[in-house]
Amino acid sequence: MINYLWENLFKRNEDHVIKVLSNNVLFKDLTSSELQTVSNFLHIRHYRPAELIFRQNEIGVGMYIILKGKVDILIENHSAGDEDTGDFITRLEEGDLMGELSLIEENSRRTASARAMNESSLLGFFQPDLKNLLQSHPEIGGRILLRLSQVLGRRLSETATKITELKKQIDSIKA
Amino acid sequence: MNILIQQQRLKKIERLKLVLFLSIIAVGLLILLKVDNMLLSFLLAFVLKYTLAPLINYSERKGVSKSHATLLVFTLFFSLIGILIYWALPYISVQFKAFHAELPRYIEGTRSLIFDIESRVEEIINTSVEFNLSAQAESLMVSWTRSLFEDLPNFLSKSLTTILLAPFFAYFLLKDSHSISKKLLDLVPNSFFELALSLQYQISEQMGQFIRARLLEAVIVGMIVWAGLSIIGFPYSHLLALFAALTNLIPYIGPIIGAIPAIIIAMINGAGLLAVVGVYAFAQLIDIIFIIPLVVAKIVNLHPITVVVSIIIGAQLLGIVGMLVSIPAASMIKVTAQNVYHHLINFRA
Repeated sequence: MINYLWENLFKRNEDHVIKVLSNNVLFKDLTSSELQTVSNFLHIRHYRPAELIFRQNEIGVGMYIILKGKVDILIENHSAGDEDTGDFITRLEEGDLMGELSLIEENSRRTASARAMNESSLLGFFQPDLKNLLQSHPEIGGRILLRLSQVLGRRLSETATKITELKKQIDSIKA
Repeated sequence: MNILIQQQRLKKIERLKLVLFLSIIAVGLLILLKVDNMLLSFLLAFVLKYTLAPLINYSERKGVSKSHATLLVFTLFFSLIGILIYWALPYISVQFKAFHAELPRYIEGTRSLIFDIESRVEEIINTSVEFNLSAQAESLMVSWTRSLFEDLPNFLSKSLTTILLAPFFAYFLLKDSHSISKKLLDLVPNSFFELALSLQYQISEQMGQFIRARLLEAVIVGMIVWAGLSIIGFPYSHLLALFAALTNLIPYIGPIIGAIPAIIIAMINGAGLLAVVGVYAFAQLIDIIFIIPLVVAKIVNLHPITVVVSIIIGAQLLGIVGMLVSIPAASMIKVTAQNVYHHLINFRA
């Protein structure tokens, strides 16, 4: 009886991880057995309400996917004079990912802080995990990297468009 | 304000978790240092793990599961080692017996060599002080060689536990290394998790590359010495090559220690001294010109002073084992210090 409950508890947890991964943009090309392989390289981390997941400007080595709970993204507010508070930017929910740039950038610094809003569980995928995955399962690692490049490329193009628009606005104000 | 109180409480919990994690690591280290055979078994297991890990990764890339790959690589490796021992043991044992029989002559020869040098030095500096180095050297050599020949079988039987434990640990370190490190990392508090993961990966990578490079270096130096001594027809080529390969694992001092027995033998026999020096110098030349710059230097970027100081500290703390592990330990400390500085101090600046 205890074994049955124990196995099912973990099985349900595993199934939830696979489900969240299969809906994520980085892993959606992978088959269920490949997702199972990837899940062995990931870390489940648990956070209490108001706990900082990462802090702005600190070195980050990877990304997080929200398995359960909600996470607030904050930008440091220098005028407030306290490093533990910040200006609210957005709230992320189950399935959302954050910090993906740190997965490939060397000595990458976090551009914002992330704080758990309630009891949260996050899936962490970090540079060492990606490197290990590329060593033992290069095909799977390659497909994740391709998807990651597409996500970052799209972000870059969106940022470039925004900069162009802002430049136009500045020029019109100047004129 | 509520958030600030919560943050203070969380910081307290994090600190407690950190103390718990560090205590577990400290207890582990204490067990390694205090329990008989444990340190050496684990060191050998890690050497085996890092030597065989690339082959297991290769098998995994070819679609073999990790457990099957570990079993396959382990079986092949130990079969190969078995064949090698079966092939080389008769040669080494013949040379070992011959060397044992000739030993009194070499001890007497070394004593007279030192006596000769001693009297020349006394002539030059014209001193009446008695050094009596030759007698001291003779008694030292007699005690060393007696312990080598008499204690070797005893040492080997005592090392049986280590010899059996090391492959056992290595097998599970290879098969379950991922889940073991994941479980350990689960205990790390959230705020130190990324630092711990990054450190664990960097240290593991560096140790792997370092161990593989040093072993490759030792094998190449040993083979050059063996080939060179065999070509010039020098006695005990197998034994001397094995000794040169093993001592080459100790940086800077090792190659010199490795060459001393052959040079003494050549001096006593009164033949082939130049050729022997040539063989060892050639092996070191190949090591310095090709092997060190290509495979070793880039891996552990330590200043020569740091290397020598580390070897001295290692030798004082743990003897020969300390000399061998001093460089990886020093580089581990360097990587840890660099990472802690970047993650915890530099980002606040």
